[in-house]
Amino acid sequence: MKINALLLVLLALVISIVPFFTDCSSQGRVLTLQNGRTIPMKCHWTGRAELAVALPLAVVGALLALSKRKETRRFLAIVGAFLGLAAILLPLAFIGVCSSAEMTCKMIMEPVLILAGIVVIAVSGLVLFQSRGPEAVS
Amino acid sequence: MQLVQLARRNITGNAFRSWVVALCACLVAGLALGTTLILRGADSSLRLANQRLGADIVVVPEGAVEKVEGALLMGHTTRVWMASQNLDKVVGVPGVQAASPQIYLSTLLNASCCSVPNMFLVAYDPATDFTLEPWLKNTIGQGLKLGEVVGGAFVFTPEGEQNIQIYGYLVTLKANLEPTGTGIDQSMFMTLETARDIARVSVTMAVAPLEIPDDGISAVMVQLDPGADPQATAVEIMHRVPGVTPIVSSNLFQAYRKQLGSLRAGIGATLGLTLGLSVLLIGLVFSMAANERRRELGVLRAMGASRAFVFRTLLVEAGMLALAGAFTGITLTILVVYLFRTLIVVTLGLPFLMPALSTLAAEVLAGLGVALVVITLAALFPAVRISRLDPAVAMRE
Repeated sequence: MKINALLLVLLALVISIVPFFTDCSSQGRVLTLQNGRTIPMKCHWTGRAELAVALPLAVVGALLALSKRKETRRFLAIVGAFLGLAAILLPLAFIGVCSSAEMTCKMIMEPVLILAGIVVIAVSGLVLFQSRGPEAVS
Repeated sequence: MQLVQLARRNITGNAFRSWVVALCACLVAGLALGTTLILRGADSSLRLANQRLGADIVVVPEGAVEKVEGALLMGHTTRVWMASQNLDKVVGVPGVQAASPQIYLSTLLNASCCSVPNMFLVAYDPATDFTLEPWLKNTIGQGLKLGEVVGGAFVFTPEGEQNIQIYGYLVTLKANLEPTGTGIDQSMFMTLETARDIARVSVTMAVAPLEIPDDGISAVMVQLDPGADPQATAVEIMHRVPGVTPIVSSNLFQAYRKQLGSLRAGIGATLGLTLGLSVLLIGLVFSMAANERRRELGVLRAMGASRAFVFRTLLVEAGMLALAGAFTGITLTILVVYLFRTLIVVTLGLPFLMPALSTLAAEVLAGLGVALVVITLAALFPAVRISRLDPAVAMRE
């Protein structure tokens, strides 16, 4: 269980850190408006929104390491799975990333977030499986 | 207790050992599948690029072979020119059935007048073309008109727009080609008339004008008479048309084929080393585990379990770990290769195409098979040794 908890915390770190170095703003690419103002592209906002997924995911991982009861673990696993789904949907559906295939956000950030989200769901599924059945009587 | 149940208890009973073996299986299967996917993906992409080109011979200006290959395969923008009179000379060569000119251009980088930066553009002559026109007639029922273009699989009209802007000129995307995993996927095709119209408009509408020499072409696509020898015709073209290099389609993309060859050798060596080390490591882990469990297995034998039963238990345990690890490795590899395919293309500098589902299924089975064989082989020797041990000796130790 401790390995699964550690994995969730590591994945939370990946989800929160990778966008900072792979969105278009980090590569110096921004949108320039007609009045000369520059604004970040949507991949930047996806990266920031992923923080709202990563932070609770790290908390889920920490709580999982501390929890003794199966029911608590089951609940944490379900929350983890939803957070994994959110990590996938943010770049794919909710906000998105830039369309060009060779931009770093499309080439690295999006796949990393999808992969991390899938692994989070898989680990949460494993935790749920391992926590099945009634509580052990002490 | 049943065989599988006993093996499962053994697996959960020593988590560390089980993790090491499963991780090795994961690595072996993942690496075997990953390398196969990348190498075969690059191979089939090269083959498809050749087929898509549709020409028996491509005639390019002398010294521009690598540039043209890079453009056609990886979509690297290039501008090469030769005299348009060369087309007539090529048509006159015996064995040549049809010849059609092409002009290679590119959009501007970081310019507001181009909605697609640095894209490879191919202008062709619809009157003589035999590569794109038949496909167009089958797909959209007619050839391209002025201002219309066909894009590779990844070319799209920007969100919220009706057209694509090139040098300040608005073109309409009529259709997309099937994906090839090559630069063609990010290239755009138009008629010579559209290209010249863009050049005309670009003088006033673009950050920099599109320049097309009046009597210049970039390449000539050649279709041979049935039965004509491509090599002999290429030699004949070289003799009759000075300043050009004819490339027979089977010799196209040689630089990439060589790169693929060296990559194959490097990956093969790495794979062999990983397989060897995994067999050694798993063999060691199982030997240690078997030594650790001498008493336990001795008791099992004393209680009536046969040698074959003990032997089978150890092999089933190894098989279960192999399958679990390999399944994880294969799933992760497919995900990683699929999600990071563009990064793979950019990093390796080779085209790449995901295989069809049936081919993928066969490769997955092969990966599972490799992991199963490697781990069973590694577990075989310790399993034989421990199952032959006398129960009394094992328990006393």
